[in-house]
Amino acid sequence: MKRIAARVLPHIILCAFSLLILMPLLWILRVSFTDRLTAYKIPPEIGTVGLMNYVEIFARYPFTGWFLNSLIIALGATAIALPLATALAYAFARFNTGGTFLRLGVLASQMLPPIILVLPLFGMFLFAGLMQSHVGLIIAHLTISLPFLSWMLVSFFEGDVARLEEAARVDGATRWQAFRYIAVPVAAPGILAAGLLGFILSWNEFLFALVLSGPSSQTLPVGLAALETHAGVEIAPLAAATVVSLVPVFALLPFLRKHLIKGLSLGALK
Amino acid sequence: MASISLSNVHKFYPNGYAAVRDVSLDIKDGEFMILLGPSGCGKSTTLRMIAGLETISKGDLHIGGARMNDIDPADRDVAIVFQNYALYPHMTVIDNLSFGLRLRGVGRAVIDQRVANIADMLGIGELLSRKPAQLSGGQRQRVALGRALVREPKAFLLDEPLSNLDAKLRSAMRTELIKLHRTLGTTIVHVTHDQVEAMTMGERICIMKDGVIVQVGAPMEVYRNPVNTFVAGFLASPPMNLLRSRLSAQSLSLGDTVLALPPALGQAFAAHAEREVIAGMRPEDFHLKADAAASTAPVKVHAVTTEVLGPEVILVATVSGEQGAEIHIRCPRDFRAKPGEIVIFHYDVSQLQLFDPETTYALKRPVQI
Repeated sequence: MKRIAARVLPHIILCAFSLLILMPLLWILRVSFTDRLTAYKIPPEIGTVGLMNYVEIFARYPFTGWFLNSLIIALGATAIALPLATALAYAFARFNTGGTFLRLGVLASQMLPPIILVLPLFGMFLFAGLMQSHVGLIIAHLTISLPFLSWMLVSFFEGDVARLEEAARVDGATRWQAFRYIAVPVAAPGILAAGLLGFILSWNEFLFALVLSGPSSQTLPVGLAALETHAGVEIAPLAAATVVSLVPVFALLPFLRKHLIKGLSLGALK
Repeated sequence: MASISLSNVHKFYPNGYAAVRDVSLDIKDGEFMILLGPSGCGKSTTLRMIAGLETISKGDLHIGGARMNDIDPADRDVAIVFQNYALYPHMTVIDNLSFGLRLRGVGRAVIDQRVANIADMLGIGELLSRKPAQLSGGQRQRVALGRALVREPKAFLLDEPLSNLDAKLRSAMRTELIKLHRTLGTTIVHVTHDQVEAMTMGERICIMKDGVIVQVGAPMEVYRNPVNTFVAGFLASPPMNLLRSRLSAQSLSLGDTVLALPPALGQAFAAHAEREVIAGMRPEDFHLKADAAASTAPVKVHAVTTEVLGPEVILVATVSGEQGAEIHIRCPRDFRAKPGEIVIFHYDVSQLQLFDPETTYALKRPVQI
């Protein structure tokens, strides 16, 4: 009896918390298939069910544009951040470049509220003619993802990989070859996971995109917020748009999980 | 093939710690040299300095006559086998084996030929397409060894390569390494803390402690004439018994036993007479029967316990009148003694070593008497 309780109780608690997190998502999913009037009914009812909201966001709003902007900016920021962060993390792990000071300095930029960075970036972008451009937003997102990814990657280059590189160095590899053929492939699961997280970070980013983007570079989160019109919240299309914007993130989750769990060392070292 | 020579080599860490101090060692071309010592004695650091994985703070390293201090590890043409094998986890066995050759731009045909030879030699032919994770400890060990062999380097550096293997496999690999050395004739530097490996494998043993070399010599030479009590207590299992005793003109007092010294030893030790000394007595120099030919003298001991090993029995005992210090005595396999039982052994006094209790160094004695 006690053993059953010990197994059941954690599940009940976990289910309750999962529900707490899932409920809003499920609610949005339901609303995305109904109309505005049904959406607010308590107790919830299914009402008219259809894909009209999904049609509407593509027909009445520049949803495709937002989606593409988000994709370009998130992919661009990740593509630049990942190699740079990998190199920085390697330098931290192997050579202790800049010591604790530089490591903490990189982290410190993440401790500031993002709003502090927005105004200087706004000024600089205005001066450099980067306002409202994709490039500007990619640079802005790099200020978030570069420190985050490099901190995350340091641990993947510490420990056992160093021993493998030593073996490669004696085997005849230069520093670069040891990095390229040993360290990077061995840390690949970690680098991939960091890349996915970086993508999601940029995909969901709102504040920088709100201030620094323009009509041609508006991203999904900004676009979704725009559905809160002066005629009231367009709750049903908003829900549909939210669901679509979640699709890439959900599509990436299984990979993220797989690669994060996959250990660093695959049996090279005992 | 090449000789390796270290001259006054030091290793200081940035925090000021001296891991290796003034190490000078000449390893001959084709020699099997053992670096032996407890953990933290600097033996692995010394090996890593030879490989180029640690910088040399002071002193010179020559491999094959050429100064190597500032040469990149990739260009020293030595191979190293690590304790944890350090196989590349994302590569198959065949890629692990050929990695070094591919980096050096060796031709495909030559690589295939050499890899096939090595795989055949080490019996890992069937494992070539597997990844390290799919191998057992012994198989990984072989692949790591193969990766070193396939490059045909000037010297092999082995960093405790057998210590992760179970006892049976370890002994098999020990034999295999000895055979390998005999076939290839390449210089080998083998780091270990295992004195059995040191005694059985090495042509010479270099014993280190606290970053300095304590003694270098052939295994039996070091075994017979340990330079100080550290070496005496480190080699062999059970090691040499070290007992405080008093030296007189022609005899040695151990508890209430007085051992008459053979004239040659009495003369050799004469300068130290009437002093406290540490007597070093090997466990196998105690016999149950007196031997007229050898200069044996009776020693009365109180049995504490016996360890029955099968081929032999180790008796743990205290010397009569000498409470506290326990000694180990190697006895025939049918020997038994109850705790507290008094046994008389006949100690071969000609094998006696004496050490200075202050410096711990051995008192000079003739090698043979």
